[in-house]
Amino acid sequence: MRKKERKLPVLVHPNASPRALRTHLTVLAAAAVALALAVGLSACGGSSATGAGGATDGSSSVPGATAASGNVVGTEGATKPTGTPKSGGTIRYAHEMETPCLTGGWIQEAYIERQYADNLVSETKGGKIVPWLATSWKTSPDHLTWTFTLKPGVKFTNGEPLDAKAVVDNFYAWLNPETLNPTVQTYIGEYFKSAKVINPTTFQLTLSKPYAPLLPVISQGYFGILSPSTYKGGAEAVCNEPVGSGPFIVQKWTHGQNITFVRNDNYDSAPQNAIHQGPAYAEKLIWSYVDDPTTRYGSLTTGQSNVIYDVPGPDWATAQNEYEVQQYITPGRPDTLDLNTINGPFKDQKVREAFAYGADRKAAVESAFEGKTPYNGNGALSQTTPNFNPDLEDTWPYDPQKAEQLLDQAGWKKNADGVREKDGKPLDILLIYGANSIITNEGATVLQDLQAQWKEVGFDVTLKPLAFAELFAAEYTKPTSYDATIGYWTSPTAGVMLITWRPWNGKEPNAYNNPFYNDPHLISLIEKGNASFTEADKDKYYGEAQEIVTKKVAAVVGVYTQETTLAVEPNLKGVWLEASQGEPVFSDAYFEGQS
Amino acid sequence: MATYAEPTGTTAIGVKPRRAPWLKRIAWRILGAIFVLWAAATFVFFVQQLLPGNQATLIMNEQTGNQQSYTAAQLAPTEAKYGLDQPVMTRYWDYIKDLAHGDLGKSYTQHKSVTSIIGEQVGPTLVLTVTALALAWLLALATILFTSRRRKAVSALGSGWEIFSAGLPYYWLGVILLVVFAIELKVFPVQGGTSIEGLVLPALTLAIPLAGFIGQVTRDEFEKVLDQPFVTSARARGMGDLAVRFKHVLRHSVLPAITLSGWALGALISGAVIVETVFARPGIGQMIVGAAEHRDVPLVSGVVMLVAFIYVVANILVDIAYAIVDPRLRG
Repeated sequence: MRKKERKLPVLVHPNASPRALRTHLTVLAAAAVALALAVGLSACGGSSATGAGGATDGSSSVPGATAASGNVVGTEGATKPTGTPKSGGTIRYAHEMETPCLTGGWIQEAYIERQYADNLVSETKGGKIVPWLATSWKTSPDHLTWTFTLKPGVKFTNGEPLDAKAVVDNFYAWLNPETLNPTVQTYIGEYFKSAKVINPTTFQLTLSKPYAPLLPVISQGYFGILSPSTYKGGAEAVCNEPVGSGPFIVQKWTHGQNITFVRNDNYDSAPQNAIHQGPAYAEKLIWSYVDDPTTRYGSLTTGQSNVIYDVPGPDWATAQNEYEVQQYITPGRPDTLDLNTINGPFKDQKVREAFAYGADRKAAVESAFEGKTPYNGNGALSQTTPNFNPDLEDTWPYDPQKAEQLLDQAGWKKNADGVREKDGKPLDILLIYGANSIITNEGATVLQDLQAQWKEVGFDVTLKPLAFAELFAAEYTKPTSYDATIGYWTSPTAGVMLITWRPWNGKEPNAYNNPFYNDPHLISLIEKGNASFTEADKDKYYGEAQEIVTKKVAAVVGVYTQETTLAVEPNLKGVWLEASQGEPVFSDAYFEGQS
Repeated sequence: MATYAEPTGTTAIGVKPRRAPWLKRIAWRILGAIFVLWAAATFVFFVQQLLPGNQATLIMNEQTGNQQSYTAAQLAPTEAKYGLDQPVMTRYWDYIKDLAHGDLGKSYTQHKSVTSIIGEQVGPTLVLTVTALALAWLLALATILFTSRRRKAVSALGSGWEIFSAGLPYYWLGVILLVVFAIELKVFPVQGGTSIEGLVLPALTLAIPLAGFIGQVTRDEFEKVLDQPFVTSARARGMGDLAVRFKHVLRHSVLPAITLSGWALGALISGAVIVETVFARPGIGQMIVGAAEHRDVPLVSGVVMLVAFIYVVANILVDIAYAIVDPRLRG
């Protein structure tokens, strides 16, 4: 259906001026910033599909061709260096938050797993699936049986063979309660039927129903293949001492400080879209944890780090001039407002629409992120997701008059204080969000801006920040817990909508269906999308599904996208962000001028 | 742990110290310590029980990075695995029993024993807090020795600085030191790690406000002592001013500051929470944040027990220091 180029985000603020000092003062002022900025919680998805040969593209929604500014970096030599790579050296990378484990269901754990493990397939920035551990694959005509051929002779870094048996073991271990990878389970749990070894280099995966997003889904870091002995060691080994076949080996994890990776000198199983085959250039990779944004950026400017994750907003413009800045706009569900469709004022669709019209989300995003992070009006999918429906971007422009009209029609009348009332009850909206974890400080600023505008049309919005533990204890997942919430779900596929819209019911609650919107027709569209193997079909089914939730029922209101950003010092070449989740890749990176 | 052990303290400085035999005093001291630890353990156990939210849900979501609720059937295996299906008192008893054996349990999030996690992290924090305490004393004493009862302007500067520095927030001070000395002047590393150079700025961040506190409580006492007859007589014997201050006056005026130091050692650990984050230093400060954010019950309990233990030890040290400084208290 639609294949327009998406608009590029404004990368460099036009009025950018040197303001390092202001930066620091800003940071000081925000004392609360002391802790982690963003935790990427999350998971899930599946993506552009492809029949067996991996053909397809899904691509034009990802601005490969237009990436002149070098922002959305995928792979395939997106930033292929021109010099001759030299071996040696230690790459010092300053990341943000430390995860409890080295593998698991968090996106931050997927980032780490990318360093020491290989996947079956890899996704290019055009959405194409290319060989990695699997050299080829084919599906049966009913799309239920997938046969993968593996690259022969690959070994885990502890010497165990990476053969069909090991891969089959991984599928079962991911779904085994003892060593469960919940993100894997959310994706393929309901599709997976069995896996079996055909011969040492061939295995067969049997699904219970067709799943077109399978390949993009298994290209994510959560699906890295680990050695059978890792799983035999149980949860403790999986968490602390996972062994893969990747370009680096976990040498030491100093909690609270860093992970030291050493090069896998025997590495010869890079994905086809890597810049080079064979062992990594750098001998070591030190992945340190620097939560504080001032400290993290400072470690780059003083040369203590060669690369940093999540360039702080106030330093964004300066960083463009001094460093190679890479930005990956994460596909999947963007940061979207979920409106509670079954309880409270938002039960009435007119009130939901008034809420969407009632504040200038686009301006709030542009101002809070200083032009760094793009606005995303489509509430269902982020603009870089294959089969994204761009027609929905302007569904609810800022229109306070319309908002007021709708509220009048819905029977909410303004009282003397400017707050609307109906049957003696004020129009109070409780908006909850995961502070410093799901929603960064910039995100919270957006919400505060919007809160002021909503007030003008008559909504009295209370913002309630929640701590990690409160979110994880699932205390805020009931229909009475909130009127609105905001969150994201990273994923390389529009199929993520099945995860976020699986019906919610009291018996088997789906915590990702935050608007509590249950619609069999919607689910059937998404399932048809997941079973479609042509782009036209996927655009049609996924496109209509996006339209229902964003426009027809206004259950979700889009705000901004998730992203990965890196700032790389100029003499370090060949660092890239992979396409499925924005995982940083260091195996092609080398220091220019080093001998 | 919040109890800066008054009761034991008074026993030690009791009215008739000479009559209290050493053995009895040590026994009391140990009993007191055990009581404090038991109270801390009990408190922490029941507070965790009272927190809203289902623990098995929390554990499952922690491990997945998700925020969902689960059905009873889905929760059952996790509850069984972590013993959450047992009655509260059974769990309490098991907890205390394990604690008595030095077993702090297994972290929900890191799948490792809490003892080993804390063991890895406690070193850098102790180095940081002890260094900060020593630095704070040096700074405070230098300020006192050189500024109290001097020309009006000098004294005012000294006591003004104490009041100002005692009020400095760690985060603000830490970032200022970081930006000035590490990022701009590049004298010290930004990410200090556990190196010696990396210790300077974090330790200073903790030491400067504490030096202000120590200075404030010492200054009053110091000025009072300066008026004592024995000071005049020392001066009359021809002793130099600095020597009088250092050898005679100081000893009489540091007792309140010693008391304060017992408390400070604990307070520095809470300061370490912020400082370790700003300077990207490993340590239990960072770990406390993570454990509390994730409500990793065994890890939080372990840290509380550790802090209680540090308080107990700090108080014993304070009593010993008292006895050294003030011979009247020696039994």
